[in-house]
Amino acid sequence: MAIATSESGFARRVKSPPPRRNLLQRIGDHRADYLYIAPAILVMLLVIGYPVYYTIYLSFFKTAPSLAVADQSFIGIDNYKAVLGASSFRDVTVNTIIWTVVSTAVSFVLGLGAALALNREFVGRGLIRGLLLIPYVISAVAASYVWRWIYHSDYGVIGALATELHLTDHPINFLDNTRTVLGSLIVVNIWKEFPFAMIMLLAGLQTVPEQLHRAAMVDGAGPWNRFWHITMPHLKGVTLITVLLTVVANLNGFTIPWIMTGGGPAGSSDIWITQVYQIAFGRIRFGTASAYSVILFIIMMVLGYFYVRALTGKNSGREE
Amino acid sequence: MTVVANEAVRGKRVDGWRWAGRVFLALITLFAVIPMIWMLLTSIKTQFAALQYPPQWWPDNPTLDQYTALLDPSSDVGRVFLGYLWNSVWICVVTTILSVAVAVPAAYAFSRFRFPGRAWLFYAVLLRNMFPAVVFLMPLFILMRYLHLVNTGWSLVLTYLTFGLPLSIWLLKGFYDNIPVQLEQAARIDGATRFKAFVLIIMPLSSPGIIATAIYSFIIAWNEYVYAATFLNDEDKLTLPVGLQHFFTEYTTNWPGLMAASFIMSVPVVAMFLILQKYFVKALTEGAVKS
Repeated sequence: MAIATSESGFARRVKSPPPRRNLLQRIGDHRADYLYIAPAILVMLLVIGYPVYYTIYLSFFKTAPSLAVADQSFIGIDNYKAVLGASSFRDVTVNTIIWTVVSTAVSFVLGLGAALALNREFVGRGLIRGLLLIPYVISAVAASYVWRWIYHSDYGVIGALATELHLTDHPINFLDNTRTVLGSLIVVNIWKEFPFAMIMLLAGLQTVPEQLHRAAMVDGAGPWNRFWHITMPHLKGVTLITVLLTVVANLNGFTIPWIMTGGGPAGSSDIWITQVYQIAFGRIRFGTASAYSVILFIIMMVLGYFYVRALTGKNSGREE
Repeated sequence: MTVVANEAVRGKRVDGWRWAGRVFLALITLFAVIPMIWMLLTSIKTQFAALQYPPQWWPDNPTLDQYTALLDPSSDVGRVFLGYLWNSVWICVVTTILSVAVAVPAAYAFSRFRFPGRAWLFYAVLLRNMFPAVVFLMPLFILMRYLHLVNTGWSLVLTYLTFGLPLSIWLLKGFYDNIPVQLEQAARIDGATRFKAFVLIIMPLSSPGIIATAIYSFIIAWNEYVYAATFLNDEDKLTLPVGLQHFFTEYTTNWPGLMAASFIMSVPVVAMFLILQKYFVKALTEGAVKS
């Protein structure tokens, strides 16, 4: 059947524009096309559509730990008030902003530096690129334990190294100190994340036409000027997408803080996403956690809007 | 004369930048590699040696005891660990196969057909990338309970499949967009049906894309932690990332063992990735850099 009705697709695209028909007719014309995407759409409706609906629904209810429908009572926006009014909300938000902004900015700068340095042929280039990408591929859980060991308050290698070099006289306690814990986690996050920025920017750099650089050199532009006026403008699109994806990945960065500190000590490394998890599965308050999730949804949707615009902006011109 | 002088000055400046680049590259490579080296060095120490202060920079008595214990099916630790490994392997393999099977036709349709709602559906696919995994945990847990999948690997297969799909479709669409439509048209003129043209012409041409998508799906599934930690309870059902966490809570002071387990867990993805690096890098960047 898919074959019988399949005149639609190309034939039409190649010919002159089709006569205008109404939406239902057009859907009918293309009914075979939908078979190709049906499996994808079906699983996504089930595994994404339903949970989104259910989260929004629950966010207006007071729930029992069993989640039995009989024990639910409608409480309007009280859950939202509870989330936004909680005394810890401000601190957690500040932590989240520091975590996201610093991780994103430093990963981007390190990634850009590495991409620029790798963007020319030299012996061992492939090897170094491969080594730099490994942190990105290994599991966040494994990485978290490795770094916990490196930061260990008694046997940690950084502490030992610092003592050996007489920078301190005792091992450093990175993770149990409210002042150093967030920074220590951010380092781990950057370690895992900068390769992503690097590889995206490296691909972007390869689209910069070599002739432009030569022309600018002939005109006497130095490396710095060429970087600002030729390289960076070409990287604008990739930069936007990389930064947006990194921001979203950081806002969702659950595993590293959870495995390394669980948000502690005293909530000093708690971010939104670990907080949602604690409310839902620690305190078993699904209603409140749902409201929290909806707030995060909204923030993500705003970012998502920009992401889609960045991703499709330049392509759509070509397609239409 | 002045031109030549200028050239010389500029040559020196370029060299300065080049050297700065090399130094930076060396430093950042150290930053990336040292934690992994420390993981390896710790994993070949004895437990006693690992807890020495100051640390043995190079292990005095290197030993593979931790590895043999973890990989020996007759030891207690080994039986548990190999159980985790097997769970991870089958879940990831099934996820990968299903991802490709579902993503290929969808990506092809998004690339080639112009059906109503196409743009809208495609945005929906992309927007999925934005949603935090943790937010879905609770409703998905309820859904899985309803489907009687809780505490089975299939709950993870279904979840990983769905959450990997958007990017898989996006990656593959990028590959299909680059295959000239004329190839299929020629096949159609020669009498092939559209489906046949797809299988005989497009599938072989897009195999690098399919490989890339498969690796991507596999690595994501292999490393996933949050859903596995929530959906699975029984010790014998756990996947490696959750298993590692259980290991840690059970044998807190056995750092060499934990590092050895982390290493074994990293080997498949790193090996797969290094061998197929070209495809993987292409997959990651394909969508973003197409201008």
